[in-house]
Amino acid sequence: MPRFRLGCDIGGTFTDLVLLLEEEGRLVLHKTPTTPEDPSHGLARGLLEICALAGVRPEEGSLLLHGTTIATNAVLEGRFPRGVLITTEGFRDVLEIGRHARRDLYGLDAAPLPPLIPRPLRLEVRERIGAGGEVVIPLEESALGDLAARLVALAPETVAVSLLNAHVNPLHEQRIVAFLRERLPHLPVSCGSEINPEIREFERTASTVLNALLMPVVAGYLDRLESRLAACGWRAPVLLVQSNGGVCRPQTARREPLRLLLSGPSGGAAAARRFAARHRLPHLLACDLGGTSFDVSLVIDGAVAVTPTGEIAGRPVRTPMVEIHTIGAGGGSIARLAKGRLQVGPESAGAVPGPIAYGRGGTSPTVTDADLLLGRLDPGAELAGGLRLERERTRQIFARELASPLGLGVEEAARGVLTLLHTAMAHALRRALFSRGLDPRDFALLAFGGAGGLHAIEVAEEVGISRVYFPEAAEVFSAYGLLGLDLTHELAENGGFLLEEAALPRLAGQYAALLARARARLEADEIPDSARHFRLSLDLRYRGQAFELTVPAPEGPPQAGAWLSALREAFDAEHLRRYGHAHPGAVVEVVTVRLAAIGTLPPFRHPEAPPSPSAAPLRLVPLYEGGEWRDVPLRSRSALPAEIEGPALIVEPLTTLYLKSGWHLSRLADGSLLAKRGEA
Amino acid sequence: MSGARKTEAVGVIEREVIAHALTAVAEEMALTIWRTAHSSIVRELLDFSTAIFDAEGRLLAQSARIPQHLNSMGAALAALLAGRFPPESFTPGDVVVFNDPYHGGQHIPDLLAFRAAFAEGRRIGFVGVCCHHLDMGGMAAGSYAARATEIFQEGLRIPPLRLITAGRREAALIDLIAHNVRMPEAFLGDLEAELAALEIGVRGLGRLAARYGAARLALTAEALLDLSERLLREAIAALPDGRYGFTDFIDDDGLSDRPYRIEAVVEVAGDTLTVDLTRSDEAARGPVNATRASTLSAVSYAVLAALGEGIPVNAGCERPLRVLTRPGSIVDARFPAPVANRIVTTHRLATTLLGALHPLLPGRIPAAYYGVSYVVSFKTRDAAGRPRVLVEIEVGGGGARAGRDGPNAFSLGMHNNANIPVEMVEAGMPLRVRRYGLRPDSGGRGEYRGGLGLIREWEVLAEEAEFSANLERFRFRPYGLAGGGAGAAGALFLIERGEVRPLPSKIDNLPLRQGAVIRLETSGGGGWGEPAARDPEAHARDLAAGYVSGTEG
Repeated sequence: MPRFRLGCDIGGTFTDLVLLLEEEGRLVLHKTPTTPEDPSHGLARGLLEICALAGVRPEEGSLLLHGTTIATNAVLEGRFPRGVLITTEGFRDVLEIGRHARRDLYGLDAAPLPPLIPRPLRLEVRERIGAGGEVVIPLEESALGDLAARLVALAPETVAVSLLNAHVNPLHEQRIVAFLRERLPHLPVSCGSEINPEIREFERTASTVLNALLMPVVAGYLDRLESRLAACGWRAPVLLVQSNGGVCRPQTARREPLRLLLSGPSGGAAAARRFAARHRLPHLLACDLGGTSFDVSLVIDGAVAVTPTGEIAGRPVRTPMVEIHTIGAGGGSIARLAKGRLQVGPESAGAVPGPIAYGRGGTSPTVTDADLLLGRLDPGAELAGGLRLERERTRQIFARELASPLGLGVEEAARGVLTLLHTAMAHALRRALFSRGLDPRDFALLAFGGAGGLHAIEVAEEVGISRVYFPEAAEVFSAYGLLGLDLTHELAENGGFLLEEAALPRLAGQYAALLARARARLEADEIPDSARHFRLSLDLRYRGQAFELTVPAPEGPPQAGAWLSALREAFDAEHLRRYGHAHPGAVVEVVTVRLAAIGTLPPFRHPEAPPSPSAAPLRLVPLYEGGEWRDVPLRSRSALPAEIEGPALIVEPLTTLYLKSGWHLSRLADGSLLAKRGEA
Repeated sequence: MSGARKTEAVGVIEREVIAHALTAVAEEMALTIWRTAHSSIVRELLDFSTAIFDAEGRLLAQSARIPQHLNSMGAALAALLAGRFPPESFTPGDVVVFNDPYHGGQHIPDLLAFRAAFAEGRRIGFVGVCCHHLDMGGMAAGSYAARATEIFQEGLRIPPLRLITAGRREAALIDLIAHNVRMPEAFLGDLEAELAALEIGVRGLGRLAARYGAARLALTAEALLDLSERLLREAIAALPDGRYGFTDFIDDDGLSDRPYRIEAVVEVAGDTLTVDLTRSDEAARGPVNATRASTLSAVSYAVLAALGEGIPVNAGCERPLRVLTRPGSIVDARFPAPVANRIVTTHRLATTLLGALHPLLPGRIPAAYYGVSYVVSFKTRDAAGRPRVLVEIEVGGGGARAGRDGPNAFSLGMHNNANIPVEMVEAGMPLRVRRYGLRPDSGGRGEYRGGLGLIREWEVLAEEAEFSANLERFRFRPYGLAGGGAGAAGALFLIERGEVRPLPSKIDNLPLRQGAVIRLETSGGGGWGEPAARDPEAHARDLAAGYVSGTEG
């Protein structure tokens, strides 16, 4: 029986599927339109379609790895169930005040986001825990019945409980949560000290509230998904992609839907890490250029850069996530004139109406239209449904909307659109590196996403990077990355003590407690002992600093001597690399203790690329480069010689790669391509 | 205009690309400061900015985190180049620094540093940084005395001097400065961050010159200035000609009870705009004075906030503006007036100018925001006897405008700060925050309600503590517009043994005992439109939320 695993990434426009036949090592790729009203519908349809393509039956599947934007979309669209927040007396406005800094410095209309839960639905309870965990005002048992009555009167669909200093002492929170779970068993409850036991009350409360608001949303989706999959004949486990670059079981996602919120980049980043390992590249910039956004993630020393805090729609989300730098730029980015100045993005024509060239009703010039006008897209290519790219209409609109008002020729205007796009992308790359103190010259660039191949080389030139990799199946690279994800749980406990020998028994105790919790989680996930791995890390800072750094701890349990000094040296070294200075003599505080529990899933082999039959170019096509039209070879990616020189256009079924003059392209053993600047 | 003809030769695409690239260099400089600075004031409050100038010292691009720094370095560099350090005096590797408010600076904690960039054997531009240092000496920690009467009490005054000559550091000068500040390590660390940012800026400009050529870069710079000038002139020309006046007041200078008048007359004539501040009061004895450089930042903020959407901020924006000030006045303080708390006056300048622009842009200008940085500080000792200082900056309510209630408790106007989490305060200091929430009934009434101020209470857990405050808007409330009411005034109380005692707005080192509670109530924003016209449903929502109590009549 041909066992297979399936990766499925649901995007705004398309649902990408990747099917790996585990024994043959053969990959099957498929795209199907997303069904926004219920994405599980499109997923189930795509599953049946790709199984038919691969000649397998759903019953033979061994694992489904699923990236979903259901939680993300709920937040972006602000579609939430009715939620209530229970918090400490005197502090119900913490959620509304937030951190009160603004983004827009000069606009007169700067205003905070509306609170996630309005004021009448924020209840206060009389209690107080002090900063040291001491009970300042006890929680009276008699208050609980009254609280439940006030709560029921508000008719909530979900509840968040987040009290001051609960990250130090969760006693009162636990009492309230236990009481509510017993008294109101059908009401979903999110507890701050369970969701995010870390200091800073606004961020913890906002994260807990978001979790509460997402619980009914995610539960409803998983119910529908599970019944649709069962109807298709799917029997194997389903794992959901998390923000931190791992996956979790559906029962975990139902309890902590916050974990799914920023999972979009996880697949691409994981695929980039595997790519870097396969090609022995220590550092890699993973650049995903799609229709609407340009997402940059980093592989540093072989690991995906992760940050303990993320943000969505301007709201903080304290859950570990793949560090991502995003700008609104892509193939669908709209070029327009504002006060006589050319601007590209961040607005996008999206899939509907799309670029003018696609003939689906688009009337705004986009990056894709500029590509077409400069000869970078094969004008003979056939679109879905047998449509041809509409070159003449695109040219007319470009001339009318951009070229004439700017006093430029159509090619110059199109070239200008791309130049501005590349400038913005290059700036995003430099910023991603700069903020971590990294040098572009140490990095290679990995280009994927539907529009990555057309623009990566020019962006690399702009940044000063001389090697660009193009993986196979770049347009479904993120979905492919899902196949290699492992099951992970991230647990944390509050620190609040100094990093010194006297504190080690306490730290060792926390480590043991975290380890026990982590083992129980992996047990519930049915991960065998041999596949379990644990990684301890600590958020550390010099005393008096207002920000901390996450530092991986040395192997083994916390102990005096070599373990402690190695941890301290690692912190000083990371501080030096990131911030340019270190203070080995200064006192260090432990802010948060973190344990990552990893359950590795059965590994798979990357399929070998079949040797490409070296072939002559398909034909010569006119391409606008360096201010003039010239004929350049158009080649098929499936039939490339081992080495070619730019300029050339290389087409695949769903994407195009532009090899600029002065760049040299090699075909690699795994089917990927490497472009190098200036050398033969 | 010959300049305009010359710059027509610069392509519109090239102009945009280079504009983006210049801003990117300024941002990379800012990231460098943020990344390598030592002190929390830089890291958390983001009190620094960076800028790129052309070869004559005209601002081309900047990265400012707070509006108080808007255009500030342009005025500072202009003063520098017109004085002891003309453009030709800069050689590669020279760094000139100063903090003197009376040489183009704003107040003593802001240390400015400039360096010239060279390519093809010619000067192609300047780069500059401005960074608020934790302490520059003087009579109060943080160089922020609420009751200073002359600049000498406010800290070490550094005139423009060459700190680095052709790459060689003047070690003696650095040592002299470090000897006169309270936290020399933090000072030296943040100075290194400033120097590192200058290096990044010089390299960035060099990269652009290598790419586009020095001559092309200069021509494009000219085109950028012309562009901003043209766009701002178009925005001004769209306003009706005429003179529009507005007056607002500063409560006091911390030393006496007398208020200070800020009066602005804005005159629109064709495509130029004149801001006449000459009728504002004379300089105060206390440190609420603004130098002309501080005043120009406030004017730039108000004009660009009102008219500048989509206009790149550079020296071209100054061309259609004339700002008239009277030397020796509170908006053009002269040596040796104290200036540490100039933000009081620049906040008031911003609300006054926006008030004057209101009749010109009906419906666009909101009523007054709370109008002050609510800065309070506590000094205590921890269990081991080590001194601890907490500085917090709080905010109030925003003004309403046609169609929109004012935002509650939000950072607006001349500053932009984050609060300090209650749990961080309590973990680091022997203090307990008893309450942090919105202040009901503090928003100005109106068809659209002003935003609410907030209430924060700190209880002293240590045996003793010292409290300081630099506040405002206790008497003169944030104004409403179009018939709307004023926001509530700010207030400060000491609560001890059940007794509530009001405190003044400006306090240096008030001793507090264990159990004492300080209660801060910040001002709300002004309302917009007649209160009677308020939608009854909106009023009902306010009542349900407790934003208004329904007892205000």
